[in-house]
Amino acid sequence: MILSVENVSLSFGGVRALQDVSFDVKEHEVRAIIGPNGAGKSSMLNVLNGVYHPQKGKIRFRDKEFTDMDSHEAAALGIARTFQNIALFKGMTVLDNIMTGRNLKMRCNFLQQAVWFGPAKREEMAHRRAAEEIIDFLEIQHVRKTPVGRLPYGLQKRVELGRALAAEPTLLLLDEPMAGMNLEEKQDMCRFVLDVNDHYGTTIVLIEHDMGVVMDISDRVVVLDYGRKIADGVPEEIKNNKAVIDAYLGVAH
Amino acid sequence: MDFIFFLEVLAGGLLAGVMYALVALGFVLIYKASGVFNFAQGAMVFFAALTYASLLKLGMPWWGALVATLAVMVVLGVAIERVVLRPLVNQPPITLFMATIGLTFVLEGLSQLVWGTQPHNLELGVSDVPMESLSRATGINISQFELFAAGVAGILVAVLAVFFQYTRVGRALRAVADDHQAALAVGIPLQHIWAIVWAVAGFVALVAGLLWGARTGVQYALTFIALKALPVLILGGFESILGAIVGGLIIGATEKLAEVYLGPMVGGGIESWFAYVVALLFLLVRPEGLFGEKHIDRV
Amino acid sequence: MLYREAGQFRSSYAEDQQIFPIRQDRIGIALLLVVAFIVVPLVGNQYWLSAILTPFLILALAALGLNILTGYAGQLSLGTAAFMAVGAFMAYNFVLRMPWLGAIPSFILAGLCAAAVGFVFGLPSLRIKGFYLAVATLACQFFVLWVIQRWGWITNYSTSGVITAQTIVLFGYPIATPAAKYLFTLSIVAVLALAAKNLMRSETGRAFMAVRDMDVAASVIGIPMMKTKLLAFAISSFYCGVAGALYTYTYLGTVEPEAFTLDLSFRVLFMIIIGGIGSILGSFLGAAFITLFPIFLNVFSGWLSHLTGQDISHAVISNLEVIIFGGLIIFFLIVEPNGLARLWQIAKEKLRLWPFPH
Repeated sequence: MILSVENVSLSFGGVRALQDVSFDVKEHEVRAIIGPNGAGKSSMLNVLNGVYHPQKGKIRFRDKEFTDMDSHEAAALGIARTFQNIALFKGMTVLDNIMTGRNLKMRCNFLQQAVWFGPAKREEMAHRRAAEEIIDFLEIQHVRKTPVGRLPYGLQKRVELGRALAAEPTLLLLDEPMAGMNLEEKQDMCRFVLDVNDHYGTTIVLIEHDMGVVMDISDRVVVLDYGRKIADGVPEEIKNNKAVIDAYLGVAH
Repeated sequence: MDFIFFLEVLAGGLLAGVMYALVALGFVLIYKASGVFNFAQGAMVFFAALTYASLLKLGMPWWGALVATLAVMVVLGVAIERVVLRPLVNQPPITLFMATIGLTFVLEGLSQLVWGTQPHNLELGVSDVPMESLSRATGINISQFELFAAGVAGILVAVLAVFFQYTRVGRALRAVADDHQAALAVGIPLQHIWAIVWAVAGFVALVAGLLWGARTGVQYALTFIALKALPVLILGGFESILGAIVGGLIIGATEKLAEVYLGPMVGGGIESWFAYVVALLFLLVRPEGLFGEKHIDRV
Repeated sequence: MLYREAGQFRSSYAEDQQIFPIRQDRIGIALLLVVAFIVVPLVGNQYWLSAILTPFLILALAALGLNILTGYAGQLSLGTAAFMAVGAFMAYNFVLRMPWLGAIPSFILAGLCAAAVGFVFGLPSLRIKGFYLAVATLACQFFVLWVIQRWGWITNYSTSGVITAQTIVLFGYPIATPAAKYLFTLSIVAVLALAAKNLMRSETGRAFMAVRDMDVAASVIGIPMMKTKLLAFAISSFYCGVAGALYTYTYLGTVEPEAFTLDLSFRVLFMIIIGGIGSILGSFLGAAFITLFPIFLNVFSGWLSHLTGQDISHAVISNLEVIIFGGLIIFFLIVEPNGLARLWQIAKEKLRLWPFPH
């Protein structure tokens, strides 16, 4: 068990985004969070990542308990994520964006960097090598020097994944990584996600709307509706779960 | 401590604040309708005042000069919207802000190129002497001119408030300020609206210019009044007409009081920075201003 | 056909990431440095050295500082002149009261003082952004100037508030002639420009740009907001402080607080807008433009007077200058927001194809 969410409740003013949600994530698994729009999925991910602080409940990550972890503490602990609406640095190139993902591993101070020759340059080259491995892995060599703002949507999503991977995370949170992609792009992305899980052993929690993708690549699924957990289990069980079907069909309750 | 003196300083400060608020109003109008922070508002005030004063000097009767200047300001407003803002429509706010800085310099240079660099006097018929009836009744000396300015500002604010709240154009302006796309979707002609807004801002600039010009003379330093409007806006919020007034009053009062009571302890001249420091401290506590709206960054 | 990259392969990351990866560029910059360091001092006349080249270099350094803060890190600042003033007056005090320090250490200390002031006035940036931050920097601009005007110690109790720069001595050699001042300035600016370029292509630069582009995302991936923003303010103010010190010692000679008004802050801001935001080269191009343009305008109007037989007054020229600057700002923002630096890049790209059209 690498991550467990215990009775987490989150509200914004009068809006209750999450109510008493509990689930766990096993190490090395691919866990999907699904649910109709407005169910609280992105909020859940934001809580895992330290962007939102729940009013009630705890998060346990690798034996450490949190109630009010900050987002950069989460990053330092090895939690990386991608965003629903791409959060790349539009003014920088693909390579630079991925390099920013390595920032927590860089040790040289700014004076050493101003001099460049010596430790700063060595460090920069070492991290460049790591970034290039990710670029190879994600097959984006041809655009490595292109400013990210000029890339098509699908490639931007891939770059964002690259930036998250650059941090060598233990836990990777993906917020709708396939949103807005066509079939081929989705297949590529699935392949990458599974490769990351296999190759690097990264635990993955992802939010996804495409049921086909969810059923295919996830090991276990959590279903949220109106901020509450309504189902939890392997894809087969979820597919046939009445409460889940009702939630998606919009049956009144 | 002399209580009468305190009241006089306070009143003076409040009334100076009203003058700041007048300039801030122009900012608020444009920001409300287009999201652009018009750094050139001060230059517009200067330009309006200079045009009016120069037309008077050329022999025009005051009502003729007023109408002519108003026409010029309206044309200027429309021209600015078309030449500067329209091409920059989708740029980030910081770009628009820098464009208005450029605009400031263009207007300042243009004003002095066309009308010369001599300071002008501006007579409005109300002199800067204590109001006699008031001082006889209560012993407090408050300038007639400042009361007149406060009155004018009050009327202007009331007119603008009614305009925004109750007229069709005013409603359209508020819609545009809220959401450009949505306003377009319901058929509001964006470009016309912006032209109207800049024209109204030009009119407000004219009123502010006349009052400030009468008080300090029409000279280049007038453009720096615009800078003082910034702390006012920070206190009041960039989008609130009421906020501009309240912010202006607070800034005017605290600045005057600080200068008179704190100034002698540190060598004077506090007025050059006090308002900004107040604004700075305020920003740390309440970044959106007293009447502004909280801005939430969503990722 | 001169500017071809054919045959230039990069076989290591280091080669790929060098400042001038193309050989022709390296030759070009080497030539430029030779001309700047050797040819110009020998050949240049006093007017060009002391009234054009030296102030150009100094303003380029200030523009560099502002570009680091506003162009790379996205923190809008209108307080550039105030930081220059701190550097100028503190340099004066160090040279005056601790003459055993030497020129370079005094300038460095002056820069550090400016950095400290920048640090303090950068603290609001942790809570406020955009043009609200600009107002905070305005507070800095006015407040610092007021302190300098009121605090007698800083001007050595000079009654007029004017300080006169002493002749600085570098390793026993006095910096007194225009050529010496020019070389001194050039060396400092060259070293600091190189340092800036190195910083901006390292993690520091990336962190700055991340904060500029989307600071919420930057903090989520682990970039520390406070450290990054304050570092940007400190480094930027250091550069502006050194520029201010140079302004006093190698250009103006006598300096008063009124030399560092809001007007100067705006001038430097114009330099980076016209030259190119977020570009080291842009800072130099913008400074060159703003330094040379008034001269060009003067010469042009003189020529025009000759042609038409009419006298064009100074007031007209200076107003025209202001109008054209403002107009150019707007023009660049509409047409090429990345300024002259981007135009230069486009020219180079066209040059790679020359003489072929595409």
